[in-house]
Amino acid sequence: MALTLTCPVCGKRNGYEFRYGGEDKGPRPAEGGLTPEQWCSHVHMNKSVAGIQKEWWVHRDGCGMWFTVYRNTAGNTEVPEHDLSLKSQNRDGEA
Amino acid sequence: MNSIQEMTHFVSLNDRDLTFFISKIRIKKLPGPWQYMGKQVFAFHRYLKGIIMFRRYSPLWGKKPELRPSYDAVIIGGGLHGLSTAYFLARDHGMKDIAILEKRYIGFGGSGRNTAIVRANQRTQENVLLYKEALDLWPVLTRELDYNLMFNNCGNLNLLHSEAAINSARMNVATAQFHGVESHLLDPVQVKEMVPALDISEDITFPVYGAMYHPPGGTLRHDAVVWGLARGAAKHGVHIHQNTEVTAILRENNKITGVNTSSGRIKSPLVLVAAGGYSAAIIYEMLGIKIPLSVLTIQAMVTQPLKPLLNHVVSSGAYHVYANQTLKGEIATGSHMDPWPNYSTQTTAHYIKHQAEALSELMPCLRGVKFMRIWAGLADMTPDMAPLIDGNHQIAGFYLNCGWGYFGFKSCAATGKHLAEFMATGSCPDILKPFHLRRFEKHRFMGETAEIVNYSPNN
Repeated sequence: MALTLTCPVCGKRNGYEFRYGGEDKGPRPAEGGLTPEQWCSHVHMNKSVAGIQKEWWVHRDGCGMWFTVYRNTAGNTEVPEHDLSLKSQNRDGEA
Repeated sequence: MNSIQEMTHFVSLNDRDLTFFISKIRIKKLPGPWQYMGKQVFAFHRYLKGIIMFRRYSPLWGKKPELRPSYDAVIIGGGLHGLSTAYFLARDHGMKDIAILEKRYIGFGGSGRNTAIVRANQRTQENVLLYKEALDLWPVLTRELDYNLMFNNCGNLNLLHSEAAINSARMNVATAQFHGVESHLLDPVQVKEMVPALDISEDITFPVYGAMYHPPGGTLRHDAVVWGLARGAAKHGVHIHQNTEVTAILRENNKITGVNTSSGRIKSPLVLVAAGGYSAAIIYEMLGIKIPLSVLTIQAMVTQPLKPLLNHVVSSGAYHVYANQTLKGEIATGSHMDPWPNYSTQTTAHYIKHQAEALSELMPCLRGVKFMRIWAGLADMTPDMAPLIDGNHQIAGFYLNCGWGYFGFKSCAATGKHLAEFMATGSCPDILKPFHLRRFEKHRFMGETAEIVNYSPNN
């Protein structure tokens, strides 16, 4: 769907070469004292932001690199990190 | 060239001629009713009335209601689940003071974008019960709403392309039969007898090994369900507020107190979020509650209208395609999802190519037929492909009904009926209990698919 992603190794490539790896939820929680709710939250629960979110991708049909990008889910476009401060989190995908 | 091939070659019905004809009409010079040999042959005044109807539009569900400062229940989302919940709340539970708040217009989202297929041959028994009830409800609702929902129970034919798929379908069939839902397996020859257009030879990428046939399923006009339920709900006093965006859900001491909208504040002890694909974002943004959803764009398309050649809903998991012929003659077909979250309703050339390849392999007579329209909607997918229905869990008075993925249409009537009971009494009816949000902490997934599907982002 007209998605282009920037792989840190291969540069800008067609979105279909990549596999989505989920929202960036921070590091895996420590196992000591971990409750089922916390684990469930880390594994399954999503913010499902309609706007810019940080997310994981893997270059499945390329170099195999895992990396994070910022993408606007409302307009389905990658947002370069240096543009983040310029764009507000607008649900309609407009800057 | 077989007969069906011949058929599709010169049957593309189009209304270009009619459009041309209409464009030539000059309204001022019109005579009265058209006459021929003293007899009226064409009621032109009636035809004109039809045109005028589009100008003086007044909705079936009555005039725009005034937004009251308080309601007994507020439903966010004027889609099928919201409308049917409101309808049953008002009809069965005597709740007269209900507001449906819709940001755009009723039926804007999945309710008007789905491919209108209904069936009850799901994999898990918790799901089958709900869908079966919905299937039984369509004829009842058609009478009750006094609105033709155009239920066409033409039957669903689920093509199977491997021994493994047949074994998997055996379980579906057993579950269906256990619950009294008609469903059985067919061999390729029987399949060919039912749908002569299908290629059952070994020459295609995924040869047909058999099919799961589910006669009571079929199609239903989705817009009619929206309009019928809206009218039915409005008759029972439900207020439908279109162009009314909810900007905040209000709570105090972990109790729902109301909502802020673009037209003012509303007090209410009960708030249901049934906003389809938009639910997850609304719930997180307004209440800070995360739910296990990924919202994906799903696409569908129709071909040009053809003579009748497909009398059933045909679907194939291996080709990832389903198709049925609408009453207008178009082949309505879906459905592709790009496997990453996306709130846009963009469509893709990638998918048009996929669909053309799949359809023309399964039904060679469709080669050369043109696609007329393509559109997209949102599918909110849970990790186990079963919905999320919950209430009074995180916050007293807060209900949610979402996560239907691409099954929301099939179930709306039955879900609305039971959810109305849930909201009116505060206790969850047994049939909805399995869809509780807590199932994920307990690792009790529904198993609606035998394995996590490759188009889900959870794979």
